[in-house]
Amino acid sequence: MALLQVEKMTKEFGGLRAVDSLDLTIEPGQIFGLIGPNGAGKSTAFNCIAGAFAPTSGKITFDGEVINGEKPWNLCKSGLARTFQIVKPFASKDVLYNVTVASFSTTNSRKHAEEKAMAVLESLNFADKKNVLAGNLTIADRKRLEIAKALATEPKLLLLDEVMAGLRPNEVDEMVSIFQDLRKQGITIFIIEHIMRAIMALSDHIVVIQFGKKIAEGSPAEIANDERVIKAYLGDDYVVA
Amino acid sequence: MNSQHINKIALLGVLALAFALPLVVRSATYLHILVLLFFYAYLTTSWNIVGGFAGVLPLGHAAFVGIGAYTSTVLSLQYGISPWIGMVVGGVLAMIAGIIIGLPTLKMRGAYFALATIAFAEGLRVMVENIDYLGPLKINGPRGLQIPPLETGFSHFMFATKEPYYYIILIMLLLVMLLTYMVSRSKLGYYLVAGGEEPEAAMALGVNVARARLIAMAVSSFLTALAGTFYAQFSLYIHPKSIISLDMSFEIAFIALIGGRGSIVGPILGALLLRPVSDFCRIYFGDSLPGLHLIIFGLVLILVMLYQPRGLQEPISRLYQRIINRPQPATSGS
Repeated sequence: MALLQVEKMTKEFGGLRAVDSLDLTIEPGQIFGLIGPNGAGKSTAFNCIAGAFAPTSGKITFDGEVINGEKPWNLCKSGLARTFQIVKPFASKDVLYNVTVASFSTTNSRKHAEEKAMAVLESLNFADKKNVLAGNLTIADRKRLEIAKALATEPKLLLLDEVMAGLRPNEVDEMVSIFQDLRKQGITIFIIEHIMRAIMALSDHIVVIQFGKKIAEGSPAEIANDERVIKAYLGDDYVVA
Repeated sequence: MNSQHINKIALLGVLALAFALPLVVRSATYLHILVLLFFYAYLTTSWNIVGGFAGVLPLGHAAFVGIGAYTSTVLSLQYGISPWIGMVVGGVLAMIAGIIIGLPTLKMRGAYFALATIAFAEGLRVMVENIDYLGPLKINGPRGLQIPPLETGFSHFMFATKEPYYYIILIMLLLVMLLTYMVSRSKLGYYLVAGGEEPEAAMALGVNVARARLIAMAVSSFLTALAGTFYAQFSLYIHPKSIISLDMSFEIAFIALIGGRGSIVGPILGALLLRPVSDFCRIYFGDSLPGLHLIIFGLVLILVMLYQPRGLQEPISRLYQRIINRPQPATSGS
């Protein structure tokens, strides 16, 4: 059974149709990539799935339950975690505090929550920064903090919204290996990314959208050679006839 | 001796000083000023649970003070019920009022919530000023209620001297500080801070921000009302302008903002600094320049926000850390 099933999902903002009857099927254990040019509706699709917006129409099924319009905090508790494209740290608090907020979603005891947060930080090689104020972190560390927070909620499905944007090449490589490790731990990953090198290396399956519509879908190799994808990214002139 | 030891000794020293103060301060006037200082420190600490940790700005907490004061006073004047029981009843009524205001408004952002709380408090004041009887309850409109000092004693919450009041408000203050400390280290505290800083991110991490704020609002309004009863028993006269005034609501917020929102010592520091200003302004300029203290508070607030946006608690606790860590620079202190 698919872990996440999106059927004919549409989201309209006034007259603008940001996502247009999108179908997605994510199997457990997959790393599933979503790409598309700027403004294609990727983040909107994410926001609908994660409960930040209710979709205008369509059906979203997560882990066997329809989750349309479910509140984000309930989705988080049922195992769906997300990061934000524009990182949102709790800036006046340190890294450990930030992650502990997230690990409280599975326990009421501060001691347990802190222990779990520490375990997550250690798994991300981030434990040495536990007492640094989140507002003082570099952009790479802020992205890492976003991932740590999402992981501390013990998700089944992790939604990553451009967590590699703005990172240096060696930092991108580090992220890629982190996600490969997570997949080994059994976490399914749904990732939006612009860095092709990373998403091609990571994904088992990629969906390409443009103007809210799916234009292609397949393995990384199939996508890289797809005429419609090249046209969407580079324009008609670059299609090799 | 490590820094944790020093912290404990410093805390015990401050406590001993606070408990011993009435032995030194014999003047009733100064004791009165101290009682009001602790009264405001208590109010601000209660306010801080929602206004500090949850990151919203309630500006109508005087309404809860009023609900507490009027409830216990009416119950004791008309039905002979001990103010201690009235205190709890007032707290529960204020909590219900807090939830009713909070339900529709706590989802609003910033200024809208602040305006809604001002509107509620002012509405309540105008209402109390314009009615003499609320059903069978005599609230006496703008003339207010006088509490005749007939019987003194603990069960009547009435004393001939100021010292018992001093100790009651001191213990109330210590308890509410302890409660705040416990909240700040609990799941609720983490959720309030997270929801206050980045509501969207907090929600994605499993935080029902509106619910956490509503709980904080309920607790805060309950605690605030308890101080209302204390004030009524202490001053033996309440009227709408004294107890449901915007002045009081603003003063609470000023103390919190200047002392440091969302910290435990902030309200105490703020009250220590601002209450004397407020009292001396009233004593010396009460006739010629009423409201002078609010102007001074405004100026101080501007300066604090410019140079120490997180309140005076920050530089002062840094200074304190530096002092206690100095004797042993070699050992690794935290």
